[in-house]
Amino acid sequence: MVKLIVIDASGAEHILDAEAGRSVMKAATDALIPGIMGECGGCLSCATCHGYVDDAWAPRLEPPSDEEQDMLSCAVDVLPSSRLTCQIEMKPELDGLVVRLPAAQF
Amino acid sequence: MPDHDLFSSRNILLPVERNEAIRVLPTSLDPPEHRPFRNLINHGLSPKVVRGLEPSIRELTVSLIEAFRARGHCEFASEFAELLPISLFLKMVNLPVEDRIRLKALSEQVNRPDGSMTPEAVNQGFYDYLMPVLLERRANPGGDLFSQFLAGSIDGRPMTDGEAFELCMQVLIAGLDTVVSVLGFLMMFLARNPDHRRQLVDDPAMIPPAVEEFLRRFPLVAIPRTVIRDMEFQGVTFKEGDLILVPTMLHGLDDRSYQCPLDVDFSRRIGIHSTFGAGVHRCPGSLLARAELRIFLEEWLSRIPDFDIAPGRTPKVLYGIVGTVVDLPLVWQA
Repeated sequence: MVKLIVIDASGAEHILDAEAGRSVMKAATDALIPGIMGECGGCLSCATCHGYVDDAWAPRLEPPSDEEQDMLSCAVDVLPSSRLTCQIEMKPELDGLVVRLPAAQF
Repeated sequence: MPDHDLFSSRNILLPVERNEAIRVLPTSLDPPEHRPFRNLINHGLSPKVVRGLEPSIRELTVSLIEAFRARGHCEFASEFAELLPISLFLKMVNLPVEDRIRLKALSEQVNRPDGSMTPEAVNQGFYDYLMPVLLERRANPGGDLFSQFLAGSIDGRPMTDGEAFELCMQVLIAGLDTVVSVLGFLMMFLARNPDHRRQLVDDPAMIPPAVEEFLRRFPLVAIPRTVIRDMEFQGVTFKEGDLILVPTMLHGLDDRSYQCPLDVDFSRRIGIHSTFGAGVHRCPGSLLARAELRIFLEEWLSRIPDFDIAPGRTPKVLYGIVGTVVDLPLVWQA
């Protein structure tokens, strides 16, 4: 299990034990955290698992693929730290990863 | 539904012979051919686009309600449910709102065929209407959804006229039904359940979770899939070519996932259900649907907080691959 910290738009911190290999989106939606939808289940079709990755963590992630960047352009309130969290797979190196959720997914 | 490598979407209409006459994109494609078409729809109905549409949805909702509010009664299906999503959608594709009757009649024959038209005639009806529009948009593109589709690239090549027709027909059919139907079912429920209505009137912040609960409780679609190869799947033996009907309504009403699943409970924590399907074909209009339902409830309940089904009248529902409400007479104190 890998520790994942999701901070929702109200500022509430949700500390999750995510299974290695599971995406941040799946871990957060399994835990029914408010403010993240993951409508398409992770097939890069909806842009509703939008989250911001803390700067300290960004260099440790795989950069977004072209398809992810293309779908990210569909999201609202996009910032340089924006990611589609279905594309971030939890692994031991990401223990303690912090992801903040936007005010709304749409 | 997520297992598209086992269950194909090549036939999505029933009876299955209808798929030979009516072909739609990208619903009837499997990956990877599905992706470039779906991508165009993803962009056309994205979170960003839906957020931008909210003021138009609100304006249209208010004007429709105000048209009959002082009268104290309406037939909800034809005077509201059919008008809001269809007018909004026709605006998105820049088609005249007066065409809605002709287009809705054709869509009805796809989702709930009554035997009055052959599938070939339904397809021809769409073709005769859409093809001149699409050729004109290709020549003189605008900012509308159809023009955006036509400008899109399919693996590096332009879309053919035939593909454009099948894609735009699919989007029309989807845009002219479904939200219409959810609106009908949720208003039938609210008319009969004053306590639920009161919760939303007293605390409008409950409306977004209520929308999620209505979507779980009132699913509409039963759609087929075709088995791709002989296999055992979750203990069931399938033969290649077997046709399966997927009743999406069972998932959110499963008591292993939701306690007392038939009860409507706005405080329920809602996880997965299949109202919008699942996997690569999951409904791309789900955010637009949510925005329309939320804005509708906010504007209706602040204007007409108490209403009932007209005494002595029974609402009428119809079933097909998409269920719907066709007659919902409502009354209130004007």
